[in-house]
Amino acid sequence: MPPPSSETILVERPRLLDRRRLRRLLVLLLVLGAVLVLLAPLTATDQADSLGAPQLVDRSQIRILTTVAMFVVMASAWNLVGGLTGYSSFGNVAFFGLGAYTCAVAVDAHRLHLPMAAAIALAPLVPAAFAALVGLPLLRLRGHYFAIATLGTAVAVGEVVKNVDYLGGATGLFPPILHRADLLFLYLMVGAALLAVLVSRLILRSRFGYGLIAIRENEEAAGVIGVNTTMYKVGAFAVAAALTGLAGGLFALWNSFINQELGFSLDFNIQMILMAVLGGAGTLFGPVLGAIVLELLIQNLAGRSDVAVYAQIGLGLLLAVTVIFVPRGIVAFFGGGSRLSVAHLRRSLRETGV
Amino acid sequence: MQLFVQQVVLGLLIGGVYVAVAIGFSLVWGILNIVNLAHGALVIVGAYLTWLLFARARIDPFAALPIVAVALFAFGYALQRALINRVIRAPLFFTLLLTFGVNLVIVNALLVIFKSDFRSVTPSYSGSGFGVAGVQVPYIRLGALGVAVAVAAGVGGLLNRTRTGAAIQAVGADREAARLVGIDLRHVYALTFAVAAACAGVAGGLITTIQAITPTAGEPYTLQAFVVVVLGGLGRVGATVVGGLVFGLVETLGQTMVPGLGAGWANAIAFAILVLVLIVRPQGLMGRVA
Repeated sequence: MPPPSSETILVERPRLLDRRRLRRLLVLLLVLGAVLVLLAPLTATDQADSLGAPQLVDRSQIRILTTVAMFVVMASAWNLVGGLTGYSSFGNVAFFGLGAYTCAVAVDAHRLHLPMAAAIALAPLVPAAFAALVGLPLLRLRGHYFAIATLGTAVAVGEVVKNVDYLGGATGLFPPILHRADLLFLYLMVGAALLAVLVSRLILRSRFGYGLIAIRENEEAAGVIGVNTTMYKVGAFAVAAALTGLAGGLFALWNSFINQELGFSLDFNIQMILMAVLGGAGTLFGPVLGAIVLELLIQNLAGRSDVAVYAQIGLGLLLAVTVIFVPRGIVAFFGGGSRLSVAHLRRSLRETGV
Repeated sequence: MQLFVQQVVLGLLIGGVYVAVAIGFSLVWGILNIVNLAHGALVIVGAYLTWLLFARARIDPFAALPIVAVALFAFGYALQRALINRVIRAPLFFTLLLTFGVNLVIVNALLVIFKSDFRSVTPSYSGSGFGVAGVQVPYIRLGALGVAVAVAAGVGGLLNRTRTGAAIQAVGADREAARLVGIDLRHVYALTFAVAAACAGVAGGLITTIQAITPTAGEPYTLQAFVVVVLGGLGRVGATVVGGLVFGLVETLGQTMVPGLGAGWANAIAFAILVLVLIVRPQGLMGRVA
């Protein structure tokens, strides 16, 4: 009888970290990608245009890159709760929406009328406070029940927001449009993504992170060896909420419009989970990789309405195939002890099927 | 007072639909330990089949229900056997993702076939009803409640009175022990999912008579099935019936009787209750502590 896969992940972790060459390659690729992402958009500015420099990207691609960075933040943040702590949250979009509305209310001339920087600083705080508050009762639940309760919380918060006039009601809120700000928001969002990865790395290597992994593997045992499970879980939940809220706040300012459907979108909710799981839940770069791959796929296919339906069917099939054949995510598939072989596929089928 | 009684009656009748939707969901969750995110999609497949039979062959929606049930039974059996059986021992999240993927494929396939136009089934008696002491009871909703209760009784009978039902319950209780006594796990899993799909199909048929459908109309029903099962408690058909009726009642009363709340608050009410129940009484209204 093969062991359950959560144990296998724990056993494989050190081996994964030892694969220095692979990690170096991955880091190098990420750095190269990041440099390209950061510099290429500069060629799309008016100044570059007047100098006659070749445009490496156009403005629509800047939009796509910003969206990808946004999902890197959300998937990494989800990973702290869903991947590391093992609590499968289905309601992280609540933090996104709360962050978005915090920013929108903060900059609104008829409401708080704060400067943009102050609004961005507030965006992580409100969701984090909310997460700490609801986390205490919610994190007592486990498994499916936790998943559903978080989903319920997200839907309920969205509905409340929609019905409160101060928050724009069903119409939504309109933060002022900043002209020629797409580059600014690209850099802000990429900054948020780097912050999310950095925070994840710090947590993964800290006592806090090992405590969270201990909770995932066996919560009772973790408590017995002295992990304050309630504080740890609520802490992870609040950090994830702060990061997700930051992404939401930036999104609201960037998009110049926020309403309930955008802020509490169930699509976003599912996508961030998919990305983390597809890339490899519990790993540092898995969610990043998942977010980049999946969001580029979605942006390039689903944006075209003529193929959108078929793209969604393709996405569904991709999900099914991934779950069945690559159950531990892309990172484990290419970096872990497994190789792309028929034998491996058959083994993973045997482990999870009847 | 009359208004109150009217709302109670309407709430219970709406609850009937929730019961029908939630029975299959509860069965798959309880026995297979899978939260089936494609459940709403199966409901809508049943709804479109009913619509096709009504629009093309002029078959009464209630008479079409057995045909729909058989078709969905076959579809569910094949789906479980071919796909979901392969991840049945994987961690919780993978089954969620797989069923979400199945949901995407089904919903978008329906979009390709039927486009996103609204379709509805309107037999001659739709819109009519009878009144008792000033309280209106629409025929269709009463019929839907009746069918839902019959489906619940049928599934309850299957589980508790037949050998197949005993095998299904045995697999739900302890799959290794069930295998040891000679139960074919693959077959029983597929059978369980097939029964659930058949129930979902029937629920879809009922829904066509009450609301206009589109390929994406099923998603709210997945969420509502969640709430109903949690509300009633996992594992027993009777608990699902109670959960569905209570949910219908609370939703209707919350929207109409609490001042300041309207139709816009339906989901907020539902999920606020859900979260409260999960925290205060996680085993559900009727559930037993495991």
